[in-house]
Amino acid sequence: MKKMLKACWNAFPGVKGKLGLVILLFFTVIALFGTWVAPYPKNFIGFDSWLPPSVSHWLGTDSYGQDVLSQMIYGTRTSFWVGILAGLITTVIGVTVGIVAGFKGGWIEESLMRIVDLFLIIPTLALMIILASFLPSMGTMSTILIIGSLSWLYMGRSIRSQTMSERQSGYVEAARMVGMKDWEIMFKEILPNITPVILANLVLVTTQAVLAEAGLSFLGLGDPTNVSWGTILALANANNAVLFHAWWWILPPGLAIAFFCFGFILIGNGILEKYRANRGNAAL
Amino acid sequence: MRYNSVYLVKRIGIALVTLYVAVTLNFLLPRLMKGDPASALASEKALGSQEVANALKAQFGLDNPSLWYQYAKYIKQLLHGNLGVSYANFPSPVADVMLKALPWTLGTVLTATLLSYLIGWLIGIRGAWKPGSLFDNSTLFSSFFLSSVPFFWIAIIFIMIFSFYLGWFPLGQAVDPAYDSFAWFDKAKSVLYHAFLPVFTLIIATLAGHILVLRNNLMRVLSEDYMLLAKAKGLRASRRKYMYGARNALLPSFTGLMTSLGHVIGGAITTEIVFSYPGVGMVTFNAILNHDFPLIQGSFLCIAISVIVCNLIADLVYPLIDPRVALN
Repeated sequence: MKKMLKACWNAFPGVKGKLGLVILLFFTVIALFGTWVAPYPKNFIGFDSWLPPSVSHWLGTDSYGQDVLSQMIYGTRTSFWVGILAGLITTVIGVTVGIVAGFKGGWIEESLMRIVDLFLIIPTLALMIILASFLPSMGTMSTILIIGSLSWLYMGRSIRSQTMSERQSGYVEAARMVGMKDWEIMFKEILPNITPVILANLVLVTTQAVLAEAGLSFLGLGDPTNVSWGTILALANANNAVLFHAWWWILPPGLAIAFFCFGFILIGNGILEKYRANRGNAAL
Repeated sequence: MRYNSVYLVKRIGIALVTLYVAVTLNFLLPRLMKGDPASALASEKALGSQEVANALKAQFGLDNPSLWYQYAKYIKQLLHGNLGVSYANFPSPVADVMLKALPWTLGTVLTATLLSYLIGWLIGIRGAWKPGSLFDNSTLFSSFFLSSVPFFWIAIIFIMIFSFYLGWFPLGQAVDPAYDSFAWFDKAKSVLYHAFLPVFTLIIATLAGHILVLRNNLMRVLSEDYMLLAKAKGLRASRRKYMYGARNALLPSFTGLMTSLGHVIGGAITTEIVFSYPGVGMVTFNAILNHDFPLIQGSFLCIAISVIVCNLIADLVYPLIDPRVALN
């Protein structure tokens, strides 16, 4: 057990990577055990409005008389899972498209990359808005699916260029000689070899998913029954929190988003730096 | 410098295909999601007028169940500049609402993009020239941090500090309430005064990306042989830094500048909401609130077209700056 923990710890390279891991663990604990940690139940209304931070309300209350700290803790769960799950969906699509395009070459690569170039021009947020606003009802699951299915373009490109350089390597040639099928070479040989690049990408798309969720919620396209960092900020803005000096309603959600994404970016950077040091230049 | 005709045709072709895809998506996506195009474009209840709804249904072919027929009608109306009628701003056509909003967004977004690029370039040069220095490390660290904050949060913080507590800037809107009675000079002043904070927000929010890209480019340029030669020739450091290094690092990042435009517009949408700035973002937000489906579709199209046109312009300007691009 102790050995395993130590191996996990060392998997995150550098001071940056370790700092990132600590930040991430903090949010994971809150996301998983938030229900027990939160001082008051979710969406509980009944305190005085606009209370500044105090012993009973560490982050004060909002205009509805909700405890901001409790809302933050429940919001962590939403933002966390949207980020992780949308990030995973993005990664699966991005890796598949990237490896297939990079390995197969020819017209398959040409057409896939044309599609990617095309969609890179059209702003993703605008596409997400039109999808989300025409959906009969928005739930957290649809947010995850919409973000996950639209964010893989850069990743697809990056994985493709990495796959192209792997294709030249001796082990791919050897695998071909042995008579391995194409999909076996792609997903059993190349995939494990580019894992660090995939991980670094995964980290990036997860932060983007968290930011996208915040943006969509801010536009009023989130799950109206749920609470996330984005919806807290949307409510704060809609209820003129600035004019009521309610900084305790504005600062925490933004800082939470920032630190959460910051943790991921640090980890990604650490992984890439180590990969570059080991393998020479890696394109991202 | 003469354009290579192959390059020209290719760029314009790509822009047209992208435009076509955007238009088609705008037609298909709402139908895929909702399944009932009539309620999205010509709902009697939302329009409050039976005649207008019927006229719209006829214009957009919604009286005919064939998707191809509807598609052909839709393209035809689009070519005539008809995007339907806004539910919430009845009887204003969607095109009018969008045309009124677009200049505000394009003005702030383009200004912010260019300034942010320039500032990012200067900071990136300083960092890359002495990698690992205190300046380099602190800009890198703050860049990572800034790229993990949502645009609209920066906007709220700025409004809180600069408008509410310091009172330097207005709390929102694009012009003074008495704007119409102003002379032209005061009008211009009012516009700039109101645009300052939104533009500043966009600059700060996008700066990080530019710094990181330009720093990387410059690091690559600095390892080129001609940099070593320049040093061997005994050229001054400032000359090597700006005339040799920075100039060459600028070129490859130019395409990235315009690709980032889509990202900036995305951020501008939420930023405008915070500043109640009457651009495309504010229109989109109100359209979402009011379930104004024709307007949502219209704003998607407007955003897509602006980004495609800006990209095309960048593609056409690029060979003028760097002739090598058009050659291969």
